[in-house]
Amino acid sequence: MEKIRNYWKKPEHVAYLFIAPAVGLLFIFRILPTAFSFVCGLFDIDMFLNGKGFVGLDNFKEMFQDDYFWNALKVTIKFTLIEVPIQMLVGLILAALLTKNNKFNKLMRAIYFAPIVCSATVVAIMWKMFLHSNIGIMTYWLEQIGIKGINFLNSPEYTFFVLVFMSVWRSFGMSTVILLSAMQGVSRDMYEAAEIDGCSDARAFISITLPLIKDTFGFVFMTRLIGSLQVFDLVFTTTSGGPARTTETLVYYTYTKAFSNNRMGYGAAVSMALFAIILVLTIFCYRGFFSEEKE
Amino acid sequence: MKTEAREYEHQGHKVKSGRRMVGDAAVDLVLILIALLILIPVIWMLMCAFRPEMELMKYPPKFFPESLTTENFSNLLQRLQILTYLKNSIIYCIFTTVPQLFINSLAGYAFARYQFKGKNVIFIAVLATMMIPFQVIMVPLFLEVVKLGMYDNYAGLLIPNWGVAICIFMTRAAYAALPKELEEAARMDGLSEFGIYWKIMTPLIMPTLMTNLVLGINGAWNDLLWPLLMTSTPSMRTLANGIALFLETSLQYGTAFAGAFISVIPMMILYIFGQQYFVEGTATSGLKG
Repeated sequence: MEKIRNYWKKPEHVAYLFIAPAVGLLFIFRILPTAFSFVCGLFDIDMFLNGKGFVGLDNFKEMFQDDYFWNALKVTIKFTLIEVPIQMLVGLILAALLTKNNKFNKLMRAIYFAPIVCSATVVAIMWKMFLHSNIGIMTYWLEQIGIKGINFLNSPEYTFFVLVFMSVWRSFGMSTVILLSAMQGVSRDMYEAAEIDGCSDARAFISITLPLIKDTFGFVFMTRLIGSLQVFDLVFTTTSGGPARTTETLVYYTYTKAFSNNRMGYGAAVSMALFAIILVLTIFCYRGFFSEEKE
Repeated sequence: MKTEAREYEHQGHKVKSGRRMVGDAAVDLVLILIALLILIPVIWMLMCAFRPEMELMKYPPKFFPESLTTENFSNLLQRLQILTYLKNSIIYCIFTTVPQLFINSLAGYAFARYQFKGKNVIFIAVLATMMIPFQVIMVPLFLEVVKLGMYDNYAGLLIPNWGVAICIFMTRAAYAALPKELEEAARMDGLSEFGIYWKIMTPLIMPTLMTNLVLGINGAWNDLLWPLLMTSTPSMRTLANGIALFLETSLQYGTAFAGAFISVIPMMILYIFGQQYFVEGTATSGLKG
């Protein structure tokens, strides 16, 4: 007994005890499911593991012939291609404008960041009512200035963009804050030197600030990219994929297939497609943004 | 990114680098307009929670309420198990974040202060879990939790979220910055290894823990997907998913606004008092999603 106790008193042994709970949990609830995610796609099972069992690649074959899958893929990619550039551009411009630490800028930052406290449910209730086609106050204001009859939340043309807007609205403050802290890290001497050389502010921003915050920019870009590809909660709370599936994203489709239609295997197959896309993009972006320093 | 943020903290208000490229007044105006784009809908929503249903349905809509009522809240109490949702949200917040802090800081401490076999390999494996998107593994994870008998109970709602790689990463960096002498002096005094971690080192990284706590509470409170997947009985729902599911079945605007009010106010208060933790945590680590 004494021997055992002495063994665990040694720092290099006690370390294993200290990391055991966290590493164990991560292994069971993160690494194991990742390892099994492809295998799941090979089964036809429901929530409680009943069903036909092993079906080989049937789920994947079905997926490639499933129009709704291709639609969801298209919606997801379209969403990402529109949301991420807007988000990055807005974040970059606002960060540049708010770098100085004065009272006004601090207040603006605090306001821009505030939507982080709103859950997707709150965002949905707010914007659904604000943009309501009959009694929404925004719709009414627009009517007053002559823009009539826009059905923001139930039209195949506009609703998708309302979703993009809500997504940007909720998180541009975060992108701004991260980019801003990187910009504040850029030494002031650089700008003074540029000024002496007769460099304009815009020019200084492009040739000094941007290259120096490249890593942070790359980090935010990748985070937003992966986040956009996985968009779910705003879809669930505002549009449920409608109208006419114009806002049905891959994760929402996975959710309906796996949890509403109770087809776990098929849901897992669809998430593998998402996994593949995220993996390829991550490697691609990582090379694009971070390769030079390695050389 | 870490060093940049730190530099910013050290130099405080002296740091200045961004440039105004357009006229200051025009820029300020645009910045204020963007702020209004956030403030107007939020303020309007908060006021709507106290407007009678009849007034909400009226055309033309008005920005400010004409009369105030609390009937939306009593409707909420009658039609939804709102107090149960509230209780579950509080349980979800506290019993997710507190064990999270303990378990992950313990691991972060070990990675920062001890040398042991396999340390680097294990640490890289931990970091790799940060790259796994949750939405991608939700189906296998769900099946695993069902198999473990943790579906639709608190164990399943809480335990799978306890291990968080980013929290290990952040606490590791904080512990690594502490001087070696502290640890050695405590060991000389005969303190156990756990005692050194708990009594000497952990109090010194309180700011990092607070950041993780505040962001963790906000994340858990607003989390929609996990409680949605893990619970099926109404008495297990949290505010975020309970109200979201209510929206699907009901057209009562006032009740929805009252629900939104109850769900957003606690986090607004947290934001007002803990804003620096929100911002620092985001700036130093970046948030997922």
